[in-house]
Formats: sequence, structure tokens, C-alpha cells
Amino acid sequence: MTDRHRRLVRAALLGGSLIATSAHAQDWPSEPVHVFVGFPAGSSPDTIARLVAEPLAEALGQPVVVENRPGAGGVIGVQQMLARGQDDYSFGITINGPLTTAARLIPDLGYDPQADIAPVGLIATSPLVLAVAADFPADSAEAFLEAARAEPEAISYGSVGEGSGAHLTAELFAGAAGVELFHIPFQSYAEVTTSILGGEIDSGFMAPSAALPQVEAGTMKMLGITSAEAFAQVPDVPVLAGQAGLPEDFRAELWNAFIAPAGTDPAIVARLNEELGRILQDPTVTERLLAMGWQVQPGTPEDLTKRIADDTALWGGVIDGLPAAN
Amino acid sequence: MTTLDGLAQGLEVALQPSVLIYSLLGAVLGTLVGVLPGIGAMAAITLLLPITYYISSQAALVMLAAVYYGAQYGGAVASILLRLPGTPQSAVTTLDGYPMAQQGRAGVALFTAMISSFAGSMLGIVILVVLAGWLGQLATSFGAAEYTAMMVMGLVAASTIGEGRPAKSLAMVVLGLLLGCVGTDVNSGAQRFTFGQVQLMDGINLVALAMGLFGLAEVIGNIRKAERDGPPPRVSLRQLVPARDDVRRLFAPITRGTLLGGFFGALPGTGSTISSFLSYAMERRVARRPERFGKGAIEGIAGPEAANNSASITAFVPTLTLGIPGDPIMALMLGALVIHGIQPGPMMLEANPDMFWGLVVSFGIGNLFLLILNLPLIGIWVAMLRIPFRWLYPAIIVFVCLGVYSVRGSTFDIVMVAGIGAIGYALSVAAFSPALLLLGFVLGPLIETNLRRALLISRGDPMIFLERPVACAFVIATLALLALPLVGMIRARRAARA
Repeated sequence: MTDRHRRLVRAALLGGSLIATSAHAQDWPSEPVHVFVGFPAGSSPDTIARLVAEPLAEALGQPVVVENRPGAGGVIGVQQMLARGQDDYSFGITINGPLTTAARLIPDLGYDPQADIAPVGLIATSPLVLAVAADFPADSAEAFLEAARAEPEAISYGSVGEGSGAHLTAELFAGAAGVELFHIPFQSYAEVTTSILGGEIDSGFMAPSAALPQVEAGTMKMLGITSAEAFAQVPDVPVLAGQAGLPEDFRAELWNAFIAPAGTDPAIVARLNEELGRILQDPTVTERLLAMGWQVQPGTPEDLTKRIADDTALWGGVIDGLPAAN
Repeated sequence: MTTLDGLAQGLEVALQPSVLIYSLLGAVLGTLVGVLPGIGAMAAITLLLPITYYISSQAALVMLAAVYYGAQYGGAVASILLRLPGTPQSAVTTLDGYPMAQQGRAGVALFTAMISSFAGSMLGIVILVVLAGWLGQLATSFGAAEYTAMMVMGLVAASTIGEGRPAKSLAMVVLGLLLGCVGTDVNSGAQRFTFGQVQLMDGINLVALAMGLFGLAEVIGNIRKAERDGPPPRVSLRQLVPARDDVRRLFAPITRGTLLGGFFGALPGTGSTISSFLSYAMERRVARRPERFGKGAIEGIAGPEAANNSASITAFVPTLTLGIPGDPIMALMLGALVIHGIQPGPMMLEANPDMFWGLVVSFGIGNLFLLILNLPLIGIWVAMLRIPFRWLYPAIIVFVCLGVYSVRGSTFDIVMVAGIGAIGYALSVAAFSPALLLLGFVLGPLIETNLRRALLISRGDPMIFLERPVACAFVIATLALLALPLVGMIRARRAARA
């Protein structure tokens, strides 16, 4: 092809894209696709992103580049995706925080999760387990709550930071059960685990995979799980909902989702959602995610929109009850 | 299984040709990223992680580990030659390494750094093998109160490493502590000194701070000098080998540094930067003539380099035996293990003994590679000093920017490093010690977080620091450190009167 030809073709393509977006969507993708992740390489959101990116690249016939932009609990990743603009090649994989609680907790967020994000689809969810040291007197959530009721704030729990999923889940749990627990913030599940093992704190809501190795070694036990049904990674841990005076619909889950900037060609969002659904049916992907503590949860973009709205309301209510919020 | 059986099994794993090759590859890469300012093991391991999906789990972990401890070797090179710490851990090495280089003893300084690194690593491996179980327990028995008391002691002990007047030293430590406050408050989630910048929510980037204060400040400071006064002298191989007197002086600092580093490495969250600072402070304190420090004392290189390498080995203890990563790089290692279907933690030694012991043995092999690789390179590194400033300095600035960017892909941090460089230059003109600022910055957040956590745990009762025996011991030691100079002053006054 000569230069003149090439210029003509490009002009034709440009003109076409102005008239019909579907024509553009048909050619899409014609260059590498970027997926922004707000956590460092090796982290759980990053591993999920890479698990999805590889088969996605195969399906799209273009490389899918995972861009790690860690910081501010995943918010930087979303910001950086938005900073690239709606070029139809910049997307993000993020945990729930930046789309739900961040708007409440971070004053200078710089984006509106409702208006600036086009949900593509949910990827996977993870419940949290209530973990205590093996020698903790209570053997069930019921006994745990009984002890908590006997003396307010006597039982302490560790979280991975103020406003984190672990913190809000514990407060949701305490509020639903009508008890007061004493919050001690840490920065990682590793620190929470160390502190529980060392006997400094009593408990913590944590990712099942963070507690599992200690449980297998007999140094920790899990009293309950926040999912609606038993969780495949730890099938023996009882569901908290409906137990020990907790409501039947008690549920708290962290999730990871695929998102795009608002204004992205709807045909491209639909295509990505379709590919995502196909990838999440692959048993090897499902199993690897489960081994990391994530249950695949494919759905439509509308499902994700609803999830964001529901969780924003749920966690917003918990944040309203925190002393720091007022 | 006895330790000997384990080591035998580890040898079998580590001597597989493919594992050996990846170990060598890791050592080479580690040295390289260590030498390049700012680009640390973190960035290298991040880049390598996706590739490890395609190689055996043993080869993958051995390679990543070699990058990690290999970077500790390389870090010293630019610190000594250019006063440009390749990694934050080696910032201390600039204090005596750079003066030595300026005195034409760069070869000896580099040789000392390499030998101390090697000895520190090897002894660190011995500590790991013999005391793994005990060190693992240490991690859980050290609570917030112990960390607080220990870090305060560290801060007091290390505050003397700067030159000049105590008031100036204090000012730098406090400035460092204040800079450490920037970011999200762990307890309340409130934003402190972020000025609405989300980029500052996780605090100031440590690499940007170290690169700016040392590397860039040095470049700015040298701009006025048009060119070097003649080319530096050629270094022959003989000049690399320290005099017998120098070698004799190395044994004690290396041993002390190794023990210190081995201890701190095994404690999650403290890491090798602190151990090298404390080792330097310790060497200065036990020295018969502390005034030599900061002017090219060989002990000031040997101790810290042994300490940070020893720490980089024992840092694997909590990760492998408890499944608790002590720093972000170890979290990455843990992630790599999980990707390969191995669950690090209390059960790992039972479930995957080949991986555990294979790694341990590979540490030894990798460090041998590093020594063999690095000793002949010393001559080449020293030759770098012959590069004219007009070529060297722009290159340094490019590498600093690359390195800072590699940490988290943030252009904001590049602007930061430029600003910090300017401040660093101003500080050096006014003869303030940037090392103390860095010390305050590293220790400050640790002390604050643990102090507040300890008081939360005790529900506000400060007696927690005295009731727990280990914490109490640190408190007493801190008081003793503070009292010593007073006692000295009183004695001196009495002697003057008599």
C-alpha cells in the first residue's frame, strides 16, 4: 500500500466513524487494549486482571496490557483510566471500594462513580470470614456475640484500615447483631493475622485465603462467613446470615469488576461483556480464581450497575453510623 | 525430617540445570537493578512476575529471590561512586563510601561492600537454617508495644549518625518525621498534608525522597564545578584489595551487622533499610574514634552492607514459615508462590519441603554467583568515574526519573523528585544531613502507627510499654542511650574542675 492509499483509507475510516459507531465497533480492536488496575503486580486484583487479560487478548486478537497504577485503595487506577479518556481502548478492573465507598471516604475523589463509569460486568466476589485465634473461648458466632454482648467493646477486631471492606463488614456485623466491637486498624491482612496469633487482638473479618493457612495449621479458627451460601473454598464454615440473631439477608461481599469510562461505545461494552462471560465459564479460570478465594459471578452491565448502587447504599449506611463520619 | 535431610533435598532442587540458570539470571538482573538508581527489586520482580507463569515454580521463585537479594549488592555501587543510592537501603553506604571514593579509594570501598554483602548473606543463611523456627515465633511475639519501643530506641540510637551540631541533626530527624506524616491517617482515614492530591494519599514515595535528597542534590551541587580536576587515577587490581589493616577491621562490623540485620529482617514490617541505618549507628557508637565516620571509615560500609543483606535473607522467614509477608516485595513473593499453587505458611515446610529447602540452598548458590559476578565488575564500575560530567549527569537524571517512575507508574512522583532534589541541594549547602531526614521518614510512620495501635490495644493505658518485658527492656535501653552523653558531660565538667 502506498502512502497516498493509506491516507485515503484512514480518511475513509475517520469519516465512517463519524457516521456509524457500529462500523467502528466492528473494526475494534485495531490496537492494544489497556486495562488499568489500582493495585501492584502480584496483588489479588492484579492476579485476577491477568487471569482475564490473557484469554481476552486471544479473543480480541490484540494484546491486552495490564497497567498497574497502585494507590489510594485502588482509586488511582480508576482515575488513570479516566485520565486516558474514552478512547475505547482504556478500561479498568477494580475492587468495589473505588466505585462504592470511595465517594464517601475520599473528599477529592475527582470522579463520580455513577456518572463517569460505564460498568462492563462483574468478575468475581469474595466473602469475608470471622477469624479468631484457635484458643479463643468462643467456638461459634453465637458464643462470640454472647461474649460481645456481655461487655461492650471488650472484644477487639483488626481491619485493613479505616473504611476498608474488612472494617465496614465488621461494623455491619456488629450493628446487625446489636453489639459493640472495638476497632483496631492495620494495613494488611498479614498484620491482622500476626496480631491475632500474637494475642494482641481477638478477631478480624478477613479474606478466606488469608485465614486458611493458619486454620489448617491449627492456630486459628473461622466462626462464620458473610456470603449468602456456604463458600466453596471453605465449605465447612457456617454462613452468618440467619445465625445468632443476625437477619436472614445479612450479606457482605467484596468484588472485582470490569469497567469502562462513561461514553465508551456501547457496542464495545457489549462485546467486552460477552467475552468476559465466556472467559468466566472456562473451568481453569474458575478454579484458579476459587483457589485465590474468588467465586466467579458473571452478569450483565445492568447487574453491575445495580450492584454498585446497592452496595453504595449499604456501606453508606454503615459509614453514617461511624463516629468519624460526624 | 532433619535439617541435613532438608539441605540435601534442597541441593537436589537448586542444582537442577534449569534452576541454576534462573538463579544466575536473577543474580545478574538483581545486580543491574540495584546499580541503576531508583529501579529496585520491586520494579524488577513486578515485571518478571507474569513471565514466571511459564516456568517451573522452583525456577521462578529462585529467580525472583535472587533478584531481591542481588539488588542489595548492586545498591552499594552508585552510593559509593556517585553518592547516588541505588536502593533506599544503601543510602547509608553513601556516608562513608562516597568520601572514600573521593579519596581515590573507590575500589577498596566497593570491595568492602561486596565482601560484606556476601558474608552478611552467607551468615544470614546460617541464621535462617538454624533459627527459622525461633525467628518465626519472634514475628508473632513482637506486638505493637515492642515495635514502638524498639523503633524509638532505633531513632535515638541512629540520630547521632549525622555530622555537625546536634541541633541540626535534630532538625533533620524531625523534618523526616513530619514528612512521614503525609498521607492517609491509618486510624481515622483522614487526609494529612495531601492538599487534595490523591497521589499523596499513600504518602511521599520513599524512592523519590532518597533519589532526590542524595542523587539529584549531588548532581545540582556539582553543576557549578565545570569539570573534574583531571581524570581520576587508574585503579589496578592490587588497589582493589584492602590493606591487611583494613581486612582486620572488617570482621567485627560484619558480624555485628549480620546479627542486627538477621534480627530485623525476620520482623515483619521493619526491613533492611532500618537495619542498615541501625548498623551504621552501632558501628559509630562502638568505634574507638567515631570522628572518622562520615570521612571514609571502612566500618561504615561493612556493617550496613552486611546488615541489609542478612536482612534480605531472613526476611523470607515470616513469609515462608507464617505466610506473613514483611514488606511489599515479600508480598509479591507470596503472590508468586500462590500463583504456582503453593500456599506459604505454617504448613509449607510439610507440604512443599522441596520448595522451602530448594530456596534456602539457592540463596547460597545465588550469593556465590553474585560474588563471582561482582568482584571483577569493580574495575568497570570504578572506570565509570572517568566519564565526563557532561555525559554522566544527564544520564543519572534520566535513570533517576526512570527509577522513580518504575515504582508505581506515576508522573507526579517525577515532579516530586525534582522538587526534593532542589530541597536536598539547599540542605547540603547548609550542611544538614539528608541521611537523618531519611531515617526520620522511614521510622516515623512505623513509630506512629505502632504507638497508636499499642495504645488502642491497651485501651489507652501507657503502662503497656512497661508491663511487657521486651518493650520495657527497649525503653530502659533508650533511656540509657539518652543518659550516656549526660554522664559524659558531667564527668568532663568534674575533670575540668579538678
